[in-house]
Amino acid sequence: MAPYDDWNKIDEEEDEELQDAAYFEGKRDVILFCIDCSESMLELRDDPDYEDTQTCHLFTVLEAAVQIQKKKVIVGPNDAVGIMLFNTTRKSETSRTQSELKRGTYAYQPISPLSAPTIQETIQLLDAFREDPEELRRAFPPVKGKKVPMGDVFTSCNWVLRDGAPKTATKRVFLITDEDDPHSGPGSQQLITSARTTLIDLTQAGVTVEPFFISTPEKPFDVSKFYSSVLLPTNLADEDEIDSSDPSVLPESISISRIEDLLAQMRFHEVPKRAHFSIPFKLAEGLSIGVKGYGLVTEQKKGTYKYFIDLGERMEVASVRTVYIDEAREAEVDKNKMVYGMSLGYTAAAAEEDEEDESKIDSNVRIVKVGKRPFYTAEDIRSFRTLGLEPGIKLLGFKDRNELAFEDNIKHSQFIYPDELAYSGSKRTFSALIKSLVKKKKIGLVLALTRKNATPMFYALLPQEEKVDEGGWNDPAGFHLIPLPFADDIRAAAVEKGFRASDELKDAARAWIDKLSVKNGAYPPDSYPNPALAYHNAQLEASAFREQYDPDSFEDLTLPKYEMIHKRAGALMKAWKRALVNDKSADVVTAPGKLAGTKRKAASLFPLSLLF
Amino acid sequence: MPAERAGYTVTMFLVDTSPSMGTTRTVELPAGPNGEERTAEMTNLEWALQFVKLKIQDMVCTLCIFSSSPQYLLQIFNGRKTDQCGVIVFGSEETDNIIHDKNGGYDNVSEYIPIGHPNAGTLAKLDALEPSEFCGDPIDALIVGIETQAAYLSSKRTWTRKIVIVTDGESPIEVEDWEATVEKMNGLDISLTLIGVDFDDEGFGFTEPDKSHMKRLNEEFYRMFTSSLKLGIVGTCEEALQETARPDIKQTKSTLMGTILRLGEVDTMGEEAVEIIVKTSKCTALSRPKSWKKFAIRESVDEDKEAESDKDKQKEKEKETKKKEDAARVAYAQLRMRTEYYVDRNGEVDEDGDFKMDDSDSITLLDKDDSEEPKEKIKEEQLEKVEKEQLVRGFKYGTTYAPCPDGQFPRLPTKKGIDLCGFFPAKNFRRELSLGEIQYVWGDPASAQQQVALSSIVQAMYEKNVMAIARWVTKDGMDPKMGVLTPVVFDEVDCLLWTQMPFADDVRKYTFASLDHLVSKKGEVLTEHPFIPTEEQREAMDNFVDAMDLMDAGERDDEGNRQPWFDTLLSYNPAIHRTKQAMFHCAVVSDIATNPLPSPHPELLKYFDPPKRVLKRSRDAIEDCKSAFKVKQVPKKVAKTRKDGHAHAQDEDDDLLLLERKQPSMRAVQAQVSIIQASSSNQQSPSRSKAKTDDSETEEEDEEEELLPDSVKKPTASPPARNKQPLPTPARSLSPEVDPGRAPGRIIGSTYPLADFKKNLAQGDVVTKAVEDLSTVITEIAMRPFSSRRSKELLECMMAMRDTSLNEDEIDAWNSFLTDLKDKCTSKPGNQEFWSQVKDAGRALSLISDKEAKKHGGASSITEEEVDKFLA
Repeated sequence: MAPYDDWNKIDEEEDEELQDAAYFEGKRDVILFCIDCSESMLELRDDPDYEDTQTCHLFTVLEAAVQIQKKKVIVGPNDAVGIMLFNTTRKSETSRTQSELKRGTYAYQPISPLSAPTIQETIQLLDAFREDPEELRRAFPPVKGKKVPMGDVFTSCNWVLRDGAPKTATKRVFLITDEDDPHSGPGSQQLITSARTTLIDLTQAGVTVEPFFISTPEKPFDVSKFYSSVLLPTNLADEDEIDSSDPSVLPESISISRIEDLLAQMRFHEVPKRAHFSIPFKLAEGLSIGVKGYGLVTEQKKGTYKYFIDLGERMEVASVRTVYIDEAREAEVDKNKMVYGMSLGYTAAAAEEDEEDESKIDSNVRIVKVGKRPFYTAEDIRSFRTLGLEPGIKLLGFKDRNELAFEDNIKHSQFIYPDELAYSGSKRTFSALIKSLVKKKKIGLVLALTRKNATPMFYALLPQEEKVDEGGWNDPAGFHLIPLPFADDIRAAAVEKGFRASDELKDAARAWIDKLSVKNGAYPPDSYPNPALAYHNAQLEASAFREQYDPDSFEDLTLPKYEMIHKRAGALMKAWKRALVNDKSADVVTAPGKLAGTKRKAASLFPLSLLF
Repeated sequence: MPAERAGYTVTMFLVDTSPSMGTTRTVELPAGPNGEERTAEMTNLEWALQFVKLKIQDMVCTLCIFSSSPQYLLQIFNGRKTDQCGVIVFGSEETDNIIHDKNGGYDNVSEYIPIGHPNAGTLAKLDALEPSEFCGDPIDALIVGIETQAAYLSSKRTWTRKIVIVTDGESPIEVEDWEATVEKMNGLDISLTLIGVDFDDEGFGFTEPDKSHMKRLNEEFYRMFTSSLKLGIVGTCEEALQETARPDIKQTKSTLMGTILRLGEVDTMGEEAVEIIVKTSKCTALSRPKSWKKFAIRESVDEDKEAESDKDKQKEKEKETKKKEDAARVAYAQLRMRTEYYVDRNGEVDEDGDFKMDDSDSITLLDKDDSEEPKEKIKEEQLEKVEKEQLVRGFKYGTTYAPCPDGQFPRLPTKKGIDLCGFFPAKNFRRELSLGEIQYVWGDPASAQQQVALSSIVQAMYEKNVMAIARWVTKDGMDPKMGVLTPVVFDEVDCLLWTQMPFADDVRKYTFASLDHLVSKKGEVLTEHPFIPTEEQREAMDNFVDAMDLMDAGERDDEGNRQPWFDTLLSYNPAIHRTKQAMFHCAVVSDIATNPLPSPHPELLKYFDPPKRVLKRSRDAIEDCKSAFKVKQVPKKVAKTRKDGHAHAQDEDDDLLLLERKQPSMRAVQAQVSIIQASSSNQQSPSRSKAKTDDSETEEEDEEEELLPDSVKKPTASPPARNKQPLPTPARSLSPEVDPGRAPGRIIGSTYPLADFKKNLAQGDVVTKAVEDLSTVITEIAMRPFSSRRSKELLECMMAMRDTSLNEDEIDAWNSFLTDLKDKCTSKPGNQEFWSQVKDAGRALSLISDKEAKKHGGASSITEEEVDKFLA
């Protein structure tokens, strides 16, 4: 991990990779769990995982909330989370900074930055429930009879968020309920209208509602009863207030699942969907559509440490600031006054002093006549990087799918999806392009400048059709934007010549490869949580909870399944090793592996090292 | 070209300083910001020396362009020690060369810079060269060059010898006995490059009219001379200069790193487990443009007078001939970075109780966001600077402090090597998951058996068409990476290629609305909808894809078959090479404004547009697509009408409510519904979207003034106008031909005032006009309704303008503009909001006082007190 200092040293202009990260770090995420606490949510049932244990929906939901909090506290230490319950008679205490909420709603944890104590508080509550299943019902008594109007719930959400969430954050409400028809009976139309109106108010305050509906065989969830007429198609909030790059079309976010899958569902929504860029995609002169770019794969790194100062009663983070100074003057220089040039020592002017007494030379200065400026402005150097292009994707043409080689890779891909709100007709055009390329087994070749500060790159445009997958995750339709290496990035093969295996030896290898192949397998990212990251985070959590960490409890899921390997292929591997020792291919006294570009005779490297 | 040993080269530059080299010429500069032609006057010598300087600059810092890691810093600074050069001038007043010293003759040829590794001084010295009153003979110089080089390399016979002659070919040449020289040069394998000022070059397409007889004869001689050499070439100077900007890839061969390829549990199942000694090397490695150094004008050089007086005297003496003794100078100092730490002791007193978050905010903002500058300043005042020694390391767990004095927790214990985990069919490889740089994995080149071992696995994988899943640990204790190995069978060697693949943590599963599966509110699957392409549209797209095919759009190969267009091996990173060109340029010229950077080399831009051939044949297909898809840019958002929530009630009617295919419910019990699609999208009826587009076109013309009352008044006609619209792509990114919004007679437009302003300043001369026009434009924009969208931009304009005013003696103009702006903003209707933002910027945007003006060598009639009062 790079020490914090190094991170700061990277120039804003010069490291795109960092900007990607900064984009995510810069924007805070606020989640308010808004959980139905009515009778059916508290109803005890047998725990499917543990014998003689009882659980209830509310318990599962809170447990999921804790998991999400634990993840967020590490990934986004500046994010904030709150928990609000509705359909409970418990009353919120009002305070100077908190509004009084609507009847039947209770702010269990007001929106606040995450911390170890708040997470531990919920964990303790859940532990108490395990001891005594009545605990949750005692803590949050359900309302008897008529349900709280959903309009009041949304209004309370609005107030809770208003009190606690910073203006600029991405604000989301995770609405969790198993009730698909809260307002049946007379007067329902009015309640629907008020729910809808209050929901509009909420979205206009920049809040997105992401519903998680719980469906059970006894009580299937039917959105058309109530919610389809309440939930809004689009985010209506004011552009000044919200992350304007994120349309958060609300209906994308509805999920209906079994209670057991709730956590998995929430995981999909854990990170707010944010576009990295929103730019035009020019198919031809006069034919452009709008697209947004997303990072679907990016290396998740360990957090960076910070510097703290002990203020006695608390530890405070020190802000780090990088300033540029003229050393000889010890004077800080304003960014606007900076100009850019090449390191002195290479430049003509610096040498004027060269022939004089060394000690007198101030090698850090280039002296020029007044009015002359052999330096560039920040804008100049940006234009050298962008070659004057404006952000956008430009189609260059199409190639066969197999032209995209394995080795033509340099960094992670991005994903683009049409943006109908920038250009109407984007979706149908984009969709037609995907279908056409898939049918013809083609890829696109594009030149793109994805952001103002980026550098232009060539990308392969790999179409992805929507895939309906039983496994729960659907591949969305779109294009993967795969950066191609430049000639500057490609290294020559370091070895040009080597000894090769005989067919017999190859067949011996083939035997165990056959045994170790997964027929319809592929690389399964989901099976490999990053062990180093998990190990780090577990220790971080223990440190925050003031607990001792037990390294033995850690399991590294990325280790090969040794037992399985030896069971299936052990004997064949042994046979191959025997064949290798007896193989004659290597039994020659001429030069083996020839390093490219060297003429070194390698005969001296014999005899063979007998490794096996 | 035969492979050259990098470095180990001595290049002799023979420069003609005969009187004719003093002829001035007009050199074309890159077009100005408005496409106007620009030119500069310089002597042929100055012009031709640019070539020499750029070549030498390349030697000085070849390495620095391509390596960015700190460990190379030392090397960079020294360049490549074995890349050396010397400079000999012919046509010099005095005579000073080794042959003359020994045998006399060879007059007017001087060894100007002795052979050595070039440094900054070399370039400066070249700048001091002036045409003389004497003619020199290039052949004399050539012989001197050969001898000087030979003497220097007497004990380094294997070094590469190069000679470059720069001349205008106007001076007489003693051609007698030239064959002996050729023989000598061929014997020593010397290559000769002859750069001629205005030499004819058919290939480049240049012929000089009215060429003197002497020059014509000389050019013929040079051509004959170089063609008799084993390695000789004549080039015209203009082409040579252009070629210095040609992207040039230094092929780097990566180091081989040793590791072990493993299968199975070595410790316990040793007799079965497999271990192969392998070496890895990089196949791709991301290069970035070299970073710039930051400079700033050092305030008041006077303070330093004592220290520099000696130097000054000396310098002035040197330049007496061409510079006035009292020439004012400016010192640009290279800046160093310093990290400072601040802490907010009063944080908890914050009323809102959200101090913690604010604080962390400042961490990010302080360094990264220019626009937050004013806010930052205010913040700083509450912060207290602390020394690094007082600080301890730790992590943030939310707002909880998690101590970790080492900066990292104990690492996961790991063992170096590449572990094979299993194999899967290559067709299931998901190309888009490939995370980074590619590595080669070779069987140990030192062991035939290891090579054979790896080869058998590679071939078996290749035959079966599978890839391997593997876990790579680069060093004991390093974090493991997961990846995929694919077999590669080259002509003479087998190897594996590795790419890193994502961990579960690295994949983000965002949900996206389906493009195909649209379901109406009633649960019906829709087959027709504006989002779904029609049969006709799909056909138009198919034709477009066929027409734009690149597989036969490239050069023809040896058999005359057309190759695919675009090859990664020929695609240069434009940012790297353009930056390099710019760096070299600013190192060898004295002023960017009068001698701007030439255009990028065409080679950098060759893949920037589809090949002409393809564009030509796809013309019809493109037109068909345009009319079939009817894509229209959605007009930029008009300022929000906030409380129009009630208007939505109309959506209650039986508008089509689209439900889309359900987004993943894990093993969903219930799969019928999920995503409700835009119920009132404007794409629903073509007539509606058309009407809307018309609006948009009118609005576009006005660019920034799309507050046409019309569009505000008709929100109900086009519901999406109320819908939140994320950053509609600015029209300006579409086409470079956006109307800059310049009013007649003005050089600053309202569209990109800052850019216009900077361009004009870069041209020089028009500072007064630029400041005056910018004042007008800023005031105009600020007084427009809804200008708040542009306040940030305006503040930037003002920053730039103030800075310029201060340095270019436009202080009075600034002060009167600001006074005027204040009056306008604070009166009705005015723009109080903007003015308060200006005030927030404090002194940075306030009047310029006499004190401040003096610091910058200007004058102002405003006192410090008045400035303070003005802001109050």
